[in-house]
Amino acid sequence: MNKYLSIFKISFQQEFVYRLNFIMWRVRNVLQIFLIFFLWDTIFSDPGRVVFGYDRAKILTYIFGLAIMKAIVTSSRTIDVAGEISDGKLSNYLLKPVSYFKYWFTRDIASKSLNLIFAVFEVNILYFILKPPFFFQTDPFLLVLFLVSLLGGVLLYFFLLFIFDMFAMWYPEQGWGPIFFLFIFVEFLGGGLFPIDILPAAIQRGLYLTPFPYLYFIPLQIYLGKLGILESLQAVLVGGVWIVVSGFTLKKLWQAGLLVYKSEGR
Amino acid sequence: MNRAIIVDHLVKNFEVVERKGGLIGAISSVISPKKKTVHALKDVSFSIQPGELVGFIGPNGAGKTTTLKILSGLLYPTSGFTQILEFDPWERRPEFLKQISLVMGQKNQLWWDLPAIETFELNRAIYEIPKRDYNENLKELVGLLGVEKFLHIQVRRLSLGQRMRLELIAALLHKPKILFLDEPTIGLDLIAQKTLREFIYDYNKKYEATILLTSHNMDDVVDLARRVIVIDEGRILFDGILEELVSRYAKEKIIKVYLSKEDDIKRIETIGKVKRLAFPQVILSVPRSTVAIAAAELLQNFPIEDLTIEEPPIEEIIRKVFRGGIKPKNLPK
Amino acid sequence: MKSLLRYINIWWLMSKNSFVSVFYSKLSLTLFLIAKTLRFLFFFVFIFFLLKGTNSLAGYNLNQTVFFFLTFNLVDITAQFLYREVYRFRPQVISGGLDLTLTKPISPLFRSLMGGADVIDLITIPPLIYAIFYVGRMLNPSLLHATYYLLLIVNGLLIATAFHIAVLGLGIITLEIDHTIMIYRDVTNLGRFPVDIYKQPLQGILTFLVPVGIMITLPAKALMGLVSPIGVFSSFLVGVAAVFLSIQFWNFALTKYTSASS
Repeated sequence: MNKYLSIFKISFQQEFVYRLNFIMWRVRNVLQIFLIFFLWDTIFSDPGRVVFGYDRAKILTYIFGLAIMKAIVTSSRTIDVAGEISDGKLSNYLLKPVSYFKYWFTRDIASKSLNLIFAVFEVNILYFILKPPFFFQTDPFLLVLFLVSLLGGVLLYFFLLFIFDMFAMWYPEQGWGPIFFLFIFVEFLGGGLFPIDILPAAIQRGLYLTPFPYLYFIPLQIYLGKLGILESLQAVLVGGVWIVVSGFTLKKLWQAGLLVYKSEGR
Repeated sequence: MNRAIIVDHLVKNFEVVERKGGLIGAISSVISPKKKTVHALKDVSFSIQPGELVGFIGPNGAGKTTTLKILSGLLYPTSGFTQILEFDPWERRPEFLKQISLVMGQKNQLWWDLPAIETFELNRAIYEIPKRDYNENLKELVGLLGVEKFLHIQVRRLSLGQRMRLELIAALLHKPKILFLDEPTIGLDLIAQKTLREFIYDYNKKYEATILLTSHNMDDVVDLARRVIVIDEGRILFDGILEELVSRYAKEKIIKVYLSKEDDIKRIETIGKVKRLAFPQVILSVPRSTVAIAAAELLQNFPIEDLTIEEPPIEEIIRKVFRGGIKPKNLPK
Repeated sequence: MKSLLRYINIWWLMSKNSFVSVFYSKLSLTLFLIAKTLRFLFFFVFIFFLLKGTNSLAGYNLNQTVFFFLTFNLVDITAQFLYREVYRFRPQVISGGLDLTLTKPISPLFRSLMGGADVIDLITIPPLIYAIFYVGRMLNPSLLHATYYLLLIVNGLLIATAFHIAVLGLGIITLEIDHTIMIYRDVTNLGRFPVDIYKQPLQGILTFLVPVGIMITLPAKALMGLVSPIGVFSSFLVGVAAVFLSIQFWNFALTKYTSASS
């Protein structure tokens, strides 16, 4: 346990070294929120308007909730894994008595903690500027399910990202491509730009068979009370299935990857 | 346990994709890529006793680094048997990893943007080193390598020599019983090299650590290793005492001479075989036993401005050895 | 003239190298192509469904909104095609590769800006141009307005060029930020929709200060006949001034260059 506390500590320190960089990263996040916020704000400039079951209050709540969800789920250092495999730095970790997965998960937690602090701060400021309506969930069951699905989203994102990092074992110079590919899917099919439920029902059903909605969309929907308790439970279970599947896939890829790892770079 | 490292009939192959040049070549490699097998290690066997300091030498691409990587569990052998301290390195058990260390010249483990002490603390936690041992080890290593002043400076700001010393500390904090050093003196100035060599020697003596060292630097080998294993093109060519290697296979020494004025090449050829002639430099090779006489003769009879006597380059010895077609194994008693 | 030909030749050679290295990486080529196409398609589908439900966005109908989006893509992707090398600049500065660039008898700005044309983006441009023709025709522009459109696209590329040069300059002055170019992308991404959707003061900022509006929204508006000749002219003033200022900044940045240590 001490091991991972130490990793957390050094990871946290590392983030602070490039303070300006980190702040610019947060600025980027804020810009992205602006895009979505203003877009929907314009669409709902007529206050009585209802589109796809969303009114102004609901959509703006969605966007603000999304900002926090993304800070928790998608802020991650694990994209660096592909680079470490490419330049051979992975070797340093293989030589040490530490689990590479636990190591990176700990680093992610450190990054998420820092990002969350900032996100909360930003959201508060944006709240005062843009004054969107915000909804506070009070049902304890839903809150619990929300937390479970959020944690599930964190784990699932970690596994998915790591799986795509694994491409670097077979294609060391091409580590970024697969991750970029993943990002596109997560952004669009995960509810990053628009709530999934504005799409036609048939497409929605298809989407819920993929892992993407379970990253931050489903947790947010559970929080907002858009799904009843039974449906929320169902969603959590499906998310759980995806976690198991991706975890298992990752393990297999890792073992296969190590067999071909050339430890290049020296 | 009488053997720390056992390697038996180790084989390692790599698959490489062949690239053709130009735009057409690039497009054709998309459609039908050509694969080639590189036989990095063909049949390697040796064993090392605890506490030995062994030099592992050979030309570039001979398979030294590949061997070290297999011994430390990074690469999977194509076939063959390896055992270290009664562990299979590939399994990478924590108990195994806590007892070994691999130091590669260019590969850093220190976190670039933070002071070295932070990485040390991290390693302490990872290797689960008790606090008291950690403090003792740290103090000792820092003292031996003289890096007290650099512990709290961002690593990126330090010079290569300073960084290398700190990297070494990071690799030794957990007092590994087995140390793999891959070209440890590469890129260092002469004084830093000497300091490092003395340190490695002391470490070996004091902690009875088993050390396997690869190097292109003859001084590293001569100063440190009593026993050398010579590898070339994936095979062991020699395994024995260094003096035996040199005396058996380097029958000659090199004399480098700087002439102060031009002289008749034929006359110089009477002293020894001229290997290279580029006025004012002449490089000769003479039999080992008569090198002193040859040097004296040169100094007496020729307009010499400077003269040095050198060992032939290690590659030459090895190439020569291979041409001689010796048996692959030659173990000491 | 000879100098221009020389530079064109060098650009061609560097681009060829860049293209060749992409073809060696089959996986990357495939994944990037698919991902970029999907990114476009997903967003397009989103706009489609959005406008089906709302009928208009800030006063623009479906065809017009789509046209704004297509115009955004043209400027954005062309800039990425030409200036992909800017994304690799920071590692160059850190590793000391910039030193090698600076000592060669060729403009380091040219090398750092255009040395790595991206063939994957190039592949996506022809279908995009076709789509622009197709949708643009449905908006029935006059010849004059279509000409304004083309001119303002060129101007948009000028502004994009100025941005990229500024990013390069910033990359020399401070190593603190590793993704300045991505900030540029996030800001220009706001141009996927007409800047009219943003409330003031953001709309003002985007139109005049960080001229995304001039870069992307304005050409499309011109096609729809919403821009006067004076508007076109003053936009060009902005574009040219931007390029000029950015080059001054680059030259200034070079004086501040401290070479990386070994």
